[in-house]
Amino acid sequence: MSEKNENENEIDALEDENSAKKSSDTSTIIQYLSFVLGKEEYGVDILRVQEIRSWEPVSRVPNVPFYEKGVVNLRGAIVPIIDLRERFSLSKPEYTPLTVVVVLQTGSGSHTRIMGVVVDSVSDVISIERTDIQSAPDFGTKVSNEFINGLVSVNERMVMLLDVDKLLLLETLEQNDY
Amino acid sequence: MKINMPITNNEVVMKPNTILVTRTDLKGIITFANDAFVEISGFTREELVGSSHNIVRHPEMPAAAFEDMWRTLKQNRPWQGMVKNRTKTGDYYWVNANAMPLFENNAVKGYLSVRLTPSRAEIDAANQLYRKINAKEATLHPTGLAAVHKRLAEISLGKKMAISASLLLLPNALLFRELVTTENYPLIGTFALTTLLAFWIMSSAIRTTRNFFSSAVHELYRLSVNEFSPPLNLTRNDQFGDLFRGIYVAGVKLGDDIAQGKQENSNSLRIIQGLKYAECSILITNANSEIIFVNQAAEQLFLRAQQNIQTIIPDFSVQKLLGSPISIFHNIPALQKTELENLQHSKTSQFDLAGHTMQLAVKPVFEKDGERIGYVAEWLDRTIEVKVELEIEHLVSAIKEGDLSKRIDLSDKNGFMKSLSVNINDLTDVIENVFNDINHIIGKLAEGDLTNSIHSEYQGVYAQCKDNMNDAILKISEFILQIREAADFVNTSSQEMASGNNNLSNRVEQQAASLEETAASMQELSSTVISNAENTKNATVVVKSAAQLAEKGGEVVKSAISAMQAINESSNRIAEIIGVIDEIAFQTNLLALNASVEAARAGEQGRGFSVVATEVRNLAQRSATAAKQSNELIQNSVQEVRSGTAFVNETGAALMEIVDSIIHVGTIVGHITAASNEQSAGINQVNQAVSQMDDITQQNAALAEQAAAGSMAMSEQSAKMTHLLNFFKVNGKSSAVYSAKATLATSKPAANKQSVAKSKVVANANFEDWEEF
Repeated sequence: MSEKNENENEIDALEDENSAKKSSDTSTIIQYLSFVLGKEEYGVDILRVQEIRSWEPVSRVPNVPFYEKGVVNLRGAIVPIIDLRERFSLSKPEYTPLTVVVVLQTGSGSHTRIMGVVVDSVSDVISIERTDIQSAPDFGTKVSNEFINGLVSVNERMVMLLDVDKLLLLETLEQNDY
Repeated sequence: MKINMPITNNEVVMKPNTILVTRTDLKGIITFANDAFVEISGFTREELVGSSHNIVRHPEMPAAAFEDMWRTLKQNRPWQGMVKNRTKTGDYYWVNANAMPLFENNAVKGYLSVRLTPSRAEIDAANQLYRKINAKEATLHPTGLAAVHKRLAEISLGKKMAISASLLLLPNALLFRELVTTENYPLIGTFALTTLLAFWIMSSAIRTTRNFFSSAVHELYRLSVNEFSPPLNLTRNDQFGDLFRGIYVAGVKLGDDIAQGKQENSNSLRIIQGLKYAECSILITNANSEIIFVNQAAEQLFLRAQQNIQTIIPDFSVQKLLGSPISIFHNIPALQKTELENLQHSKTSQFDLAGHTMQLAVKPVFEKDGERIGYVAEWLDRTIEVKVELEIEHLVSAIKEGDLSKRIDLSDKNGFMKSLSVNINDLTDVIENVFNDINHIIGKLAEGDLTNSIHSEYQGVYAQCKDNMNDAILKISEFILQIREAADFVNTSSQEMASGNNNLSNRVEQQAASLEETAASMQELSSTVISNAENTKNATVVVKSAAQLAEKGGEVVKSAISAMQAINESSNRIAEIIGVIDEIAFQTNLLALNASVEAARAGEQGRGFSVVATEVRNLAQRSATAAKQSNELIQNSVQEVRSGTAFVNETGAALMEIVDSIIHVGTIVGHITAASNEQSAGINQVNQAVSQMDDITQQNAALAEQAAAGSMAMSEQSAKMTHLLNFFKVNGKSSAVYSAKATLATSKPAANKQSVAKSKVVANANFEDWEEF
């Protein structure tokens, strides 16, 4: 892609953000952090994101599922790290300096949980009109429907919006099973 | 009464143990006389058989004797008596004659007379008696008292018994009367009873005796006709039993004699039959030299010779041969009476009988006691044999003298002689054919004609001779054909040689001219080679400078390679630096994102900060993109530098190879210089050789002319040889051509040259044909 095209894209993005700002009053605009797993693009509510980090080697924890990579010390807090690519059985995980860990949090009252999920790369912060969200069909995605709030088309790219609470709850349940 | 005269006083005495047997019919005609009777009577058998028996009566025999005999015989009783008989010559002999009737089916069929040898006393007694009877001083049968006595003695047994019984009864009757008068009744009763008993026993004994005699007589008569039946009462212990047993023994003995007689009879019958049909001709005579047996072969032999024999013995006939005396062959010395009587062993003689060559073997036959009883004569007509022997002798002597045209006449031969003659004729034919064939072939060979061969079929040594002869002719033919072909070949070859030699001579001259040209060319070549050597020296110098330049080029390439390596290292450093930039851009991006997250969290207050974060993110992304592009460019240049280094390395290697090649070229040029020098020396030698070749070529030219002349002479010689060979005529592939040539040569002797020329044409045409072959 040439530099000129990129500049145009950036301009488009700015315009989108401007339009988002204009319609923020209506409070129907939700910001999502989009990231890439394999070839698909996924999105999570940006308010659920605590931090974005580059990949660091983790401390291994014994007797956990294969997709739970271990734990890291995040400024005093012990955060478990799971690899979503392995969790969703998408691709063979590769860990490079460009691999990114998104640290997510559930905001269910006083009981909050923090967890890092490993993704291929982080792409963008996107603003979406609530009405643009379409419900997920029964099939066609590699992530089970229960994690998906809906689908949205951004610049002709399909982004699957993940429900972080369900995602993290599921992890808890599964952990309880153990 | 027949009176046979004359009589002599010579007595023929019968040999002891001789039995003379004759049989007559009821009228006294002789139907059979045995050999002994025939011999002693002096008559032949033919004279005796069929004549009345009184042919042998002696006149001194009293007629009463014969009357008595006939009377007795008519009563079917045997008669016995001494009889004086007369021989044919008038001599007399005495016999003890027994005559009896012969029964057949209980009827008299004839009479049998068996005469035994009498003793001298009997002869004398009979002689006296007959003399008395003839002088009427005595009779044959007793008369007067003697006759009564005889008649009384011959009263039958029954009558005698009756007389004796009645004589015995007379005193008994007197005694009986005496007893009646005394009235002694018990004694009377006893007396009467014993007398009756005596009569009864006597009469039964007489009856038994009569019955016995009659059955014994019956049995004896049956024996006389060979009807022997044994059921006689042999177990009886009295005198009758003895008599029966005697009769029985005599009967059995008689049966045995008859069986033996039959056996011997059939034995002799077999021998007679065998002789009858034997292949050899046999005559048998009896002791009187009368022919008593002629077998079939002998009959045929005499039948064939009959006509010829009749010219010498007019009354000779085969039909009359049987019974004739052997002296009918009065001209054959071996069969004369004295000769035969002196004969002790078999004697063979050969003689001519009315044109027939006969071989005769005579052998006397003796009885066991050495008495001569006849002769056996074996005849063999060797007429044809002798004739054939003679003919074969003539034929063989003719063949010995080389005359093969004669043959044995087959018209008068048959059987073995014919087949022998045919075989000898065939033999002569074969020999004649063989010699004719060989003669013919050899004659033709002498005339030079080899086209014939023997075709007839022979066997053995003749076949070998024929095959060898044919092979010899064939071999000679083949030789002549081959010689002809060779001569012809020599002829054409010599002609070809002549023309070839001419060509050779011409070519040798051309060769001489060419050699001169060659010499001149060699001079030019020599100067060229010298200039060539100089040019190579110059080339050596040039090559050396080229080598130096190439070495310099190699050094330049080495420095270029080190420069390239420096560029490569620099590029790698640049790439590392760009990596660092890229990492910074990535971290910046992350920081910007975190900022965006914080801004979003801050809500409306973070909006400005969000914009800044977005800008920072954009910048980070742009610097990452730039770093990525720079990295790609640097990677490309590193790649280019790497390939450039490879090219420069190759150039260096190529320059090194060029240096090596230039050095190699230098050495080659040096070799060329040396070679050019050697060439120039070689060319000088070639020049000398060419001048020698020129001389030799001149000599060759002279020799080629001589050879041409020689081959012409050879051609003429071979033409003469071909002409000579035409004398022979052979079967072969080219015979026609040769015969044509031969006829041309013989028919036109005047135009000899012309014909030779023609024949050459023909020969050439022939060779053209060969080429077409």
